[in-house]
Amino acid sequence: MRGPSPARRILTGFGIAVVLIYALFPFYWMLSTAVDPHADARGAGLLPSGFTLDHFHRVLVEADFLQYVKVSLLVALGTVVASGAIALLAAVAVARFRFRFRSVVLIMVLVVQMVPLEALVIPLFLQAKSLNMLNSLLGLVIVYLAFSLPFAIWNLRGFVAAVPKELEEAAYVDGASWWRMFRSVLLPLVAPGLVATSVFSFITAWNEFIFALTFMTDSSKYPVGVGLRTFFTTNTAEWGAVMAASTIIALPVVVFFVLVQRNLASGLTAGAVKG
Amino acid sequence: MIARRTVLAGGAASAAALGLAACGSDSSKGSGTDGKGKTLTLWIMEGTNPSTDAYIADLKKKFKEATQADLTVEVQPWDGAHDKFVNVMGGDSAPDVAEVGTTWTPEFADAGGLDPIGDELEEAGLSGKYVKALKESATLEGEVFGAPWYAGVRSILANKDLLSAAGVDKQPGNWQELLDAAQALKKKDPSTIPFPISGGSPFGLLPFIWGAGGEIAKQSGDTWKAAIADSPAVEGVTWYTDIALKHKLSTPAASTWKETDALAAFQKGDVGMFITGSWVPATIKEKSPELYDKLMAFTIPAKDSEVAPSFLGGSHLCRFTGTKEPELAFELIKLMTTGEFAANWAKQTNFFPGEQSALDEVVTSGDDLTAVFAKQMTEGGKSVPVTPLWGQVEGKKTIPNLLNTVLTGGKDAATACQDAAKEMDQIFDD
Amino acid sequence: MSTAPSTAAPSVRRPSRAARLRRALPPWLLLAPALITLGVLLLWPMIRVADLSLQKFRLRHLLRGEREYIVLENYQKILTDDHLWLTVLPNTIGFAAVCVAATMLVGTVVALFLNTLSTPWRIICTTAIMVAWAVPALTGTYIFVWLFDPHSGFVAGVLEWLGLLEADTVNWWNNRWAFYGIAALNVVYHGFPFIAVTILAGLMTVPKELYEAARVDGAGAWRRFASVTVPTMRPIFAVCLILSTIWDFKVFTQIYLMPGGDGSNRSVMNLGVWSYTEAAGQGHYGMGAAIAVLLTALLLVISVVYLRTLLKEDDL
Repeated sequence: MRGPSPARRILTGFGIAVVLIYALFPFYWMLSTAVDPHADARGAGLLPSGFTLDHFHRVLVEADFLQYVKVSLLVALGTVVASGAIALLAAVAVARFRFRFRSVVLIMVLVVQMVPLEALVIPLFLQAKSLNMLNSLLGLVIVYLAFSLPFAIWNLRGFVAAVPKELEEAAYVDGASWWRMFRSVLLPLVAPGLVATSVFSFITAWNEFIFALTFMTDSSKYPVGVGLRTFFTTNTAEWGAVMAASTIIALPVVVFFVLVQRNLASGLTAGAVKG
Repeated sequence: MIARRTVLAGGAASAAALGLAACGSDSSKGSGTDGKGKTLTLWIMEGTNPSTDAYIADLKKKFKEATQADLTVEVQPWDGAHDKFVNVMGGDSAPDVAEVGTTWTPEFADAGGLDPIGDELEEAGLSGKYVKALKESATLEGEVFGAPWYAGVRSILANKDLLSAAGVDKQPGNWQELLDAAQALKKKDPSTIPFPISGGSPFGLLPFIWGAGGEIAKQSGDTWKAAIADSPAVEGVTWYTDIALKHKLSTPAASTWKETDALAAFQKGDVGMFITGSWVPATIKEKSPELYDKLMAFTIPAKDSEVAPSFLGGSHLCRFTGTKEPELAFELIKLMTTGEFAANWAKQTNFFPGEQSALDEVVTSGDDLTAVFAKQMTEGGKSVPVTPLWGQVEGKKTIPNLLNTVLTGGKDAATACQDAAKEMDQIFDD
Repeated sequence: MSTAPSTAAPSVRRPSRAARLRRALPPWLLLAPALITLGVLLLWPMIRVADLSLQKFRLRHLLRGEREYIVLENYQKILTDDHLWLTVLPNTIGFAAVCVAATMLVGTVVALFLNTLSTPWRIICTTAIMVAWAVPALTGTYIFVWLFDPHSGFVAGVLEWLGLLEADTVNWWNNRWAFYGIAALNVVYHGFPFIAVTILAGLMTVPKELYEAARVDGAGAWRRFASVTVPTMRPIFAVCLILSTIWDFKVFTQIYLMPGGDGSNRSVMNLGVWSYTEAAGQGHYGMGAAIAVLLTALLLVISVVYLRTLLKEDDL
């Protein structure tokens, strides 16, 4: 490809600026409020009224926020691994096999996420109680697994379906077993989809709080979503601490994404070579 | 409500029987040392006390000394707390004792989640020791379902600089004087908000309904009937909202403000005076000491007098019906709501203690600001209708909706009050 | 043309029963873990919600395990309420339609744009987008509320500076259109990263050769998008669309936390908030469940229409 024209470059630069500003401005607002000594009275000013780490001190030291982070990391990673594996199997089933009730299964998977979560709190609580899953992190992982699966299955199904059948067939012609084909053809090609899915599952498990709040009574097992709520009481809100805690909550998601991002790129090259 | 008694009778009796059977021989020895090897679970709300951990450590130690029983304390965030209580009540995961917001107590009691403690309070000689209005809010059909722990009340907090610049320096003796003060503020500096009318805060409106001699609802026999469309109440609503609509002493933005928003604007120096809780001065002291020095407090005036009734809200400590140790649970409630632990909690949280003697001490030893709020509390402390159905009126946001409708000019006060009354009556009649 | 062993091989003889079972079994084995999890934790509680919607169910019923069936009374109450037809339903449907369209558009445009960038810039931009996704919904909502504060917010400040607005004269939270406009900005802000990242991932799986071939055939950028990208990515687009619809219809937190959104301003209520204030707010669990079922039914109808029009039989 020849180098782009100057006009095109300017346009691209402008586009990048728009994307960055739209994506980052609220984040900037959060971060700058988190270091603002007068966070509660933050007005219209673009810059904070000063700089302080007091709010972070309050969140990390006094409120021991890292404990929440630890719990959430465990729960979120558990959810990501479990939902990635289970959803991929299910996605292969619906995308590559033709069987009776296939459409019914697919529609049911969609339907189960149509009920507003708020309405599910009590029935799900009773269900979890009868399964002895209350106040247990594994129980929470299983619940979040259920929340993230429908999306994960539908999403991965699209990616599996997008892999040309001819590639699989070529592998069989080369004498590969199904498992071999799965590992060396299908898996690398759906890797970008798996990444997108796992980011989604991670965020689902990471930010959820309604169920964590009702399922967990032991405060050492609260995840970050619940931890964030502790800075609100009925009549007050500690804005500085809320924003500092939100910053801490947002960071691992970004780190997780940067870590898995490489797979997006490797998925790309895999696609180019094989395709 | 009839069904409640059977459940309570069943639940409480069996729980009490279990407790008695378990410690029969020990308790005959008379001392409070019957809790060996037992563990109680206590839930308290997050964020009320900045030094919760130290308080809990002390409490555990003292409780162990007094009863030999262990105490597990679980701190629950306010947010979503109602759902959580609802989910666990009656089950194994329910606590033995928990802090319950005063407006929730009747609802939970009616549903059969709370265990009455009136007789035990009587026996322990505590019956008359609590702040009256707070005990009333735990009393349903003659039974007491919780012991007052701490409470707060709303009064007016003002910025001394802005006030003295406008020549305002004394407690308004009635509505007219309050209006005069706000108008003086406006005249001096048109850019300030003299007296914001927060649409999202029903607790600002109530003192004016009550201060005009009105009521939200009245009880007759077993049932409640809305009184918010009666003429004194309508007068209060009209007068309060006219501050914004007719006299322009609020700001349009305030029609969706909650108390926290008004506080934020006040901290920025945009607000002359506003209605807020008794715990707020301490928050301001911690966050901006320079503003704290400029604080001034007034009681919310009634139509013709200095002190209007103001909502007294706080928390009870309640025993849950699922407890297997009702006696120990009561010991814990007693320990926390009286004496040293009651006083310390109040001091650490900047709320008022629920025990009258501790409250008196706070009032005599406290500063000017505290004295004003305490005056409002002792002379005007009032609770919302004590009925299990009140929770629904709160959940339906009937009063914020009324305020919002009038403030945005959707309806005039009288019509909006009638709609609100209709809505409440539907709930009460249900 | 050869067919993979897993898909039905053309066969003249009728396979034996065991053989048929062997062929039918693998997909169900693959599906089993997912179906069990979903069945136990979502489907069953969902059936219980439907069951609740037929009862008068209050706190005391919950505590005592009592049942009081009133069959369709809850539904009758809801469906004869003007509040549903004049306020709640228009709010819910209108808002969801705008949000879905805007989220899909912004997400797709951003993904296409990112796909044209060089790798380092693409990584920078996707990371920035992830930051938008990572901000918790609760915090994001508070930030938008703050930015749009009519008294001292950033937007009011800018408008005043531009001379378009006199300070402290309006409160746009009380205006249904402005309220939902700001809510839409917030929801799109939270929703577009998912669409952008998913579609970008999809774009990366489209074999480059297809584009090359189209280019050789003389197709321009738009042509290539319409004839290569869209058909290849159709299943992914369809999924994004259906899921955004489901999420945007159910939006709750973002509305509830906005000024007046908790039910104190009835004119901005949507189905999610209504269900919540009935159930959790007032303890009318049966009524709340009925509203939830109504929302589900509405979504179901819309999804079926989508599936019919968007996906060919063999896509599903």
